Formats: sequence, C-alpha cells, structure tokens
Amino acid sequence: MAPVGPRSGDAIFANVERVNAELFTLTYGATVRQLLTDLEEVEEVNKQLDQMGYNIGIRLIDEFLAKSNVTRCVDFRETAEVIAKVGFKMFLGVTATVSNWDADGTCCSIILEDNPLVDFVELPDTCQGLYYCNILSGVIRGALEMVSMKTEVTWIRDVLRGDDAYELQVKLLKQVPEEYPYKDDE
Amino acid sequence: MGREVSESCVDSLLTEIVSTYNNRFYANKPELAARRIEAIGYQVGHQLSERYTMERPRFSDHLEAIKFICKDFWSELFKKQIDNLKTNHRGTFVLQDNRFRWLSRISTDPSVENTESQDPSAAAESKASLATMHVYFPCGIIRGALSNLGIPCAVSADISNLPACKELLLSYSVLSFYDI
Amino acid sequence: MIACVAVVGHQNNPLYIQSFTEADDALKLHHIVHCSLDVVDERVNNPKKSGPTLNETFLGLLYPTENYKVYGYLTNTKVKFILVTTDLDVRDADVRNFFRRFHAAYIDAVSNPFHVPGKKITSRTFAERVSTIVKSFGLSSAG
Repeated sequence: MAPVGPRSGDAIFANVERVNAELFTLTYGATVRQLLTDLEEVEEVNKQLDQMGYNIGIRLIDEFLAKSNVTRCVDFRETAEVIAKVGFKMFLGVTATVSNWDADGTCCSIILEDNPLVDFVELPDTCQGLYYCNILSGVIRGALEMVSMKTEVTWIRDVLRGDDAYELQVKLLKQVPEEYPYKDDE
Repeated sequence: MGREVSESCVDSLLTEIVSTYNNRFYANKPELAARRIEAIGYQVGHQLSERYTMERPRFSDHLEAIKFICKDFWSELFKKQIDNLKTNHRGTFVLQDNRFRWLSRISTDPSVENTESQDPSAAAESKASLATMHVYFPCGIIRGALSNLGIPCAVSADISNLPACKELLLSYSVLSFYDI
Repeated sequence: MIACVAVVGHQNNPLYIQSFTEADDALKLHHIVHCSLDVVDERVNNPKKSGPTLNETFLGLLYPTENYKVYGYLTNTKVKFILVTTDLDVRDADVRNFFRRFHAAYIDAVSNPFHVPGKKITSRTFAERVSTIVKSFGLSSAG
C-alpha cells in the first residue's frame, strides 16, 4: 500500500469542484454515438475512444499528482493501487479494486463495479464489438506513460456486454528511465 | 443530490471532443467539425431537457420555456443563471452569460499558450478561433433543449472580450421560426 | 389492475404500448389508447375544460368506458402517457404515483445514447421497470 503521504481519494473528491454527473454521462454517450455515425466501423470507434482517453490522460496526470500529493510511485504495484483508490475516486467519484496480480508483479486487473459513463446505456445489437468505456483504458495508458511506465490496457470484463463487473487488465511493458517527457501531438 | 463527478472530467472531455473533431478529423474543414460538435450538444440538450423538466408543469408559451433555460436549466449545468435575457419581440432572444465556465478555461489552456511565443496577434487569433469551436457544443445543447420543448430554432453565439479573457461574455440568439 | 400502458410521441406516433391482460384483447386496448389521444388533444387545446389541471402534466381521468378507466399524462416535451385500468375504484394518488414513476423510467430510457428520439422504445430495462411499476400499482402510494 501507499505510504502515509498521499491524500485519500475521498478527501480529494470532497474538495474538488464537482458537477452533476448526468452532463458528463450524456456528453460521453453523445460522443460515442456521433463517432459511430462518423466512423461507421466499431473497431475504429474503439481506437478513437482510446486515443481520446490517451490525450486526456497525459494532461490529467498533472492535476492528479498535484492534488493527491503522490510524489512518485516506487513500483508498479503501488501505482496500480493509487490509480484504483485515488485516481478513479478523485475524478469519477467511484472506487476501483486491484486484483489478479501475476507472479512478477507486472500485470494486474483494475475492477470497477460501476462507473458513471454507463448510466442509462444499453448497447444495441449492432454495436456488439464496441468497448463503450474504452476512453478509460486510454486515460490510464496516457497517464502512466507520463510517469515513465509504458503499459498495455485491455478489457477483460464489461457489464454492458453481459459480465458482472468492469475489468481492465493493465500490463507493464517497460519502465522507461526518467527523461523529459516530450510528446508529439498524437 | 444524484451522482457527481469532478469538473475536470467534463472539462477534459469537452476539450478532447473539440480537439478530436477540429484538429484530427476535420483539420481543414472547421465547418464540418463545428457541425459534428453541435450535433453532440444537440443530443445532450435534448436529453437534459427531458430530465430537467420532469417535475414541473408544462410551459404555456415560448417565453416561459426560454426563461426555464435561463434559470433552472443553466443553474443545473453551471450553478448560475444567465445574466441577461433580451428579446426583440419578433422571435429573437439573446442570452448573455458574463462568466461562462466552459470558456474561462481556454485562456489557461496550455496548448493555446504554446502558440504565444511567436506573433502575439496570431496567438490571439488562434485563441479566438479555438474559443469559437468551443461554443458549438453549448449552442447545440440549447438548440436540442428548446426543440424538444417544441421550439425549433437556430442558435448562434457571439463571443466578446476575447482574447483579453478577464471576463467572458457569451451571447446567444435564439431565432424562432414560429410565432411567439 | 392495469390493463395497458402506452407512450405516444408528439405526432401521435406510438413509442411503446404494452397490455397486461390474459385475455386476447390487445386490439381493443390499442383502440382505447388511440381514442384517448383525441381526448388529450382536446383537453390541452381547450384549457377551459381542463379547469384545475391547467398545464399540469397529470391530466386525470380522460374517459371511462364500460370496463375500463383511462388516465392521461402529458410531459413538457409533448409526449403522452396513457394508462388503462380495469379498477373502477381508483385513488387519484395512486395514479399520480404511477405516472411519476413511469415518467422517471421513460426519461432514463430516452437518456440511452443509442435511443433515437421519435423511434420506438425497445429497451429491455425500460420494459422490466414498467412491469415492476405496473405490478405495484395501487399497493402503496409511497416510493
């Protein structure tokens, strides 16, 4: 677990500027619907949602570090816990749990019971291949890349597809040595 | 009080929608980007008007519906009302918000600041055009809400005081094609 | 007992209609719903007749038939809800409560990003919620 330093997700969420989740939920839904209209291919929509998430993640990490007092996580294990307990809580107001660690501590699952993106959503039959919440995997990937962890994030379970929870597998590909994180626009 | 999320979730998503459509999908066709962003807002406004009118009597005329947008609807979204409502009594309404939240962050958007190093007037111009992109979403919200309340209309925005950005002024003309 | 509920769009296009009777009377119930739409229009366009219900979403009893009572509700977005019941002794509070819960279920159904306004409501969640609301009709005015 994280040392005493970082603030709890609940404490941060209580202090940030908050808005009615409906606006966020409906805006995200309308965006997914518009992407489906414009791109037609479900696969392409998955890709774009991930890309949007990635772009958000690389910006959101600064706010996260500033508000959470998290200095730098020593290892991947601690990082995953912080994302689940602090990250999800301070932005989305929900807590996630971490489980299914592999032996060498480089791959785990982040599990969400519930998240505000999916309120009211029912996938039509024509969208069976859609990872509706794919923006989340992009956010995690983008944010971690800014703290020098290159990861691969994939969906294992999805309530919208009939599973009992949302499960994201986060796999550490490599920990890049500290360098100035300058990114291209993409 | 229902579920809440941090305001940065909404801000980040809106910024990313604009950037996706304006910079990636339709980099050289701002009018197409604008139309898509407006369409996203339209769906949101349509759905929100359904939700926010649930516990209230039906509006007896257009003015009542527009007042609802200025007061209750705006408060739900921005925790403040529209500052000023004007009409020419021939179907055009102008709604003015002096501190529009979704524009106030543009002045601090780092992706805009980056352009500042070169020509200051070019930077100002790019800031203004980015701000313009950001108003299509709220324009769509208002059009979606009003049309669901039985008022088909065209909504446009006029942003003043940019790029000074100390105080933001946003006005909407709601052009109704029906009698008032 | 509730015999039938319906959601009808602002151009009198049916968005959802479901009967809850054992008997094979769906056609008859659809006809009753259809006829009630004219009564709704008349009420709304002639506010004098509606008296105390002016601009209220709940329109009250639209008309009684021999075997049914028909109630109406009109949202701010001009969507009509129709309730057909076989109970002859119905409490006003129960009907209001029914429509309030029905309206909430409707709002969530049209908040689905994949729902197309003006198209039929095909949501399974909506159908399940409606069936729960219908079953609990008249049991309690709470909730």
